[in-house]
Order: sequence, then structure tokens, then C-alpha cells
Amino acid sequence: MSEINCLEALKQIELYLDGELHGVVRVQIEEHLGECGPCMDHSEFQRRLKEILRAKCGCDEVPSHLAERMRALFADPPPR
Amino acid sequence: MARRSAAPPDDPAVRARFERDVLPLLPNLYGAALRLTRKPQDAEDLVQETFLRAYRGFGGFEEGTNLRAWMYRILTNTFINTYRKKQREPVTIQDDEVEDWYLYDRLGGSGVEASAESEVLNRIPDEDVQRALEDLPENFRMAVLLADVEGFSYKEIAEILDIPIGTVMSRLHRGRKALQQALWETVRERGLVRDQLP
Repeated sequence: MSEINCLEALKQIELYLDGELHGVVRVQIEEHLGECGPCMDHSEFQRRLKEILRAKCGCDEVPSHLAERMRALFADPPPR
Repeated sequence: MARRSAAPPDDPAVRARFERDVLPLLPNLYGAALRLTRKPQDAEDLVQETFLRAYRGFGGFEEGTNLRAWMYRILTNTFINTYRKKQREPVTIQDDEVEDWYLYDRLGGSGVEASAESEVLNRIPDEDVQRALEDLPENFRMAVLLADVEGFSYKEIAEILDIPIGTVMSRLHRGRKALQQALWETVRERGLVRDQLP
């Protein structure tokens, strides 16, 4: 039987999904989610939202001229 | 715009290390720069300036410490100093009334079956998700970007932005709520759910 109730679990979902909970508290949340469908749905939604941000907001294609310019920084200085 | 030349690290080994370790970060840094500046030309300039500063300071960078966090610190500092709106942003978000589960509740309220809410998220076009993030006030936007797009910890975000961890948590929480509001608008505008609310 989970030691915490839904209210307490939902209050900490953000911290949990951000990987900021550890030890006993984290186990308590995990146990609760394992037993409570509605809370698990909330948690899954939040997790999916994070995933969508990561997938859709961080994968822009770098313009080739920019990539070239950055690579040119490391080229050996031209011979005098 | 006059281009300052980098003062390259003298040691070719250091230059090689920069190319090996920093260049792979370019795609993510460019994406972050786009979300911050919202204009491709500014994003390119921001990335270039960031690389130049990192390159100049790389000789003093301790190998084995958190390179990604260091690069993002330079990026956000450069953004704040160069591109950020000069005047203070007025606090226009009245988010005290916004429930924590804003988007989730509304999707449920519009008849989406439980556990199908996540599926609706998948159908939001990429550009709309990007725009929702880019429309956030800059403080919220930077926090959400660093946490959710780049995967930094609260401690790392605190160091990157030079703010207390409590402030990180607050900006994340409020930023995510604002993001949910924006996404709900998109879901409705795109007709991704039938809006059954009265």
C-alpha cells in the first residue's frame, strides 16, 4: 500500500520527472504511480510533454555556411 | 558587422581538443540560439559569438569538467548581453489562477479518453511547439529550454543562469504552465480536438 496519497504524489511529479528526487521519496512516488492509474496518466502526460519539447525544439538543421564557418575557426593559420 | 578574429589557443593540441569536444555541440547550440533569438540570422550571430568566446577562453577550461554547461553559460550570457530586450519585461502572466494540470484537464474535458491525451500531443506540428516555447517570456523560456530541451539538472541550470535553485524551480513551474496554455490554444486552433467546453 502506497505511503503517500495522490495529492502528495502529484505535487512532486515535476521534480520526479526532472530526476531531482532520490532515495525514499523517489521510491514512494514510484510505488504510488505503480498502484494509481490516474496519477500514472498525469505523470505520463507530463513526461510526454517534456519529450516533445526535446524532440521538436532541439533538432534544427544547421545551415551549411554556419557549420563551415565554425569549422574554419580551427583551421591552421594560413602560412605567412 | 566587423568580425573579431579569434585569438586561437597557441597550442595545436588545445585547438584539436576544441574541435573534438565543442564542434559536436553546434546543432544543439544552434537550436537553442534559434529559440532564444527567434530569428535565424541573429541565431547564427549568437552561435558564432559564443564559439569565438569559448575558443578564446578554452585554454583556461579545465578538461573533464562540465563542458556543455560551460558552453550554454556562454551562450545565455551572450544572449542576455547582446540580444535581450533592454527594458525589463512587465510581468503580464497572471498564472496564479492557472491550474497545474491545465492542458491535461482541458484535453480530458474535450472528450479525449484518459491516456489518449498524450497522443494528441504527438499531433501538434513541430513549428507550433517551437513557437509556443519561443513565445514564453525570456526568463521562463531559458529555464524550460535548458531543462526540457537540453536535459540539464536544476543545479546545472542554476549555475548556467547564475540564479538560485529555488528560482530555477519557480521559473520551470510557471514556464511550463504558460507553455501548456499556449499549446491548448494551438490544439483548439488546429482542430485537434472537438472543443466541447461551453
